[in-house]
Amino acid sequence: MRNIIIALLLLVAACKDKDYTVPVPKDALQNDCIKRTLGPNLAGLNIEFAYAMALPLTKGKIISAQVEASIAGATGTYLENKSYYTNGSGVDVGIQIGDPSVNENNFTKVNFTKDTNAVTLRYYYVIPKEAQGKSVTFTFSAKSSDGEAVSYKMGPYVISKMDMVLDLPVKDGDFISIADMAVYNLTDTATKTDKLDLVYLFRSIPNISFGHALVSPGAEREYLPDVTLPAGANKITKISKVWNLRDFHLARLQYGIYIDDLDFEQLKMSDAPDYAINLKSEAGAWIETADGKYRAYIYINKADDAKKSAVISMKRYMLK
Amino acid sequence: MKKLLFLLAITFISCSKDHPVDEDGLLITSRAECYVSNFELLGVDFQTVRTKNAVIDTTACTIDVTVFYGTDLKNLYPQFSLVTDAKLDPKITGKVDFSDLANPKSYTVISGNRKVRKTYKVLITVQSK
Repeated sequence: MRNIIIALLLLVAACKDKDYTVPVPKDALQNDCIKRTLGPNLAGLNIEFAYAMALPLTKGKIISAQVEASIAGATGTYLENKSYYTNGSGVDVGIQIGDPSVNENNFTKVNFTKDTNAVTLRYYYVIPKEAQGKSVTFTFSAKSSDGEAVSYKMGPYVISKMDMVLDLPVKDGDFISIADMAVYNLTDTATKTDKLDLVYLFRSIPNISFGHALVSPGAEREYLPDVTLPAGANKITKISKVWNLRDFHLARLQYGIYIDDLDFEQLKMSDAPDYAINLKSEAGAWIETADGKYRAYIYINKADDAKKSAVISMKRYMLK
Repeated sequence: MKKLLFLLAITFISCSKDHPVDEDGLLITSRAECYVSNFELLGVDFQTVRTKNAVIDTTACTIDVTVFYGTDLKNLYPQFSLVTDAKLDPKITGKVDFSDLANPKSYTVISGNRKVRKTYKVLITVQSK
């Protein structure tokens, strides 16, 4: 009995909370950063960051913020000069804190014009084409009126080797070139015979489901009914149908799925056929060109039976 | 202490019952039923390639499937539903090439007691224009 009482007393003593104390902020300029974009980093797209900086009121104010990218951003790269808050209606309202950012070589800088102690600025880095296959790092820094400076390193981030093209309209009988990432009609093809990797066609044939199709120019004629091919167009492109792969960059829908370089590298296409028929909206197809130089993923954003047309988007990866 | 020994003895007795397993580690049971109850065939996009339900003849041991025009017969995923405790030989581990229509693929169903074996032929017909 005595033991139980001792044990209970111990329990009571052990459960006593320590008094809470409000944390004391550091008496200095501080900063923090997060990357906001997800998925692979493609040339032409943004990488978005949120850079936060603050210092106590007694220490002064922030006078400038800048970002140094290891590879200069493409046109359109900027550091936001507004600090945002969300109002009661859920709308982000911007308050200008400085002049619009200025890009100079690898630097993007905002000079503050308002008395500001704490702010979060968005940084949009437009990935340049020359960064493909390389890594890029960022150094965010801020200066305050009392002479203090802080910096925050982000990265390295690998820039994908993929190229992307969005919303190419295709009509029945059009040709798709993976090398050019373009669509040609029959009259365009005279000088481009060596670049025609696929034929897009739509057929409504009784008793079977043919519909929207991507077929190699060199496939069996039964998969190219009534298609006029330019002389010499006979490439055998490998095609593998896919369903439920709505890449976020291509589809721009709610699905957080991204095709990355690794997917193209690990793809097994050796026994894939040279045609894909009965494709629908939101379907897609992996493609490997006849020369083995490129692999691509073609996503069908929209398929219109009545107009015998479709809208496609493509990610392409160079193997060789 | 005596009680503990007694409990251990009971545990030992209750565990000593023999549960035979086969070479795959699957339980061998007393069931002798041996048939395919359902059959599915999926394309590389994991969508069905059947135009209608497969016809399973458990007497003739055949599975008749009609697939869509243009189906890539070299890259298909078959799925068998079997009677309780039965298993399939050969096992399906990935894509199967069904393109040789003259020589249909055969799969053997083995009953739960592992004593009855029935070999089913998968007969594929491609939808014609």
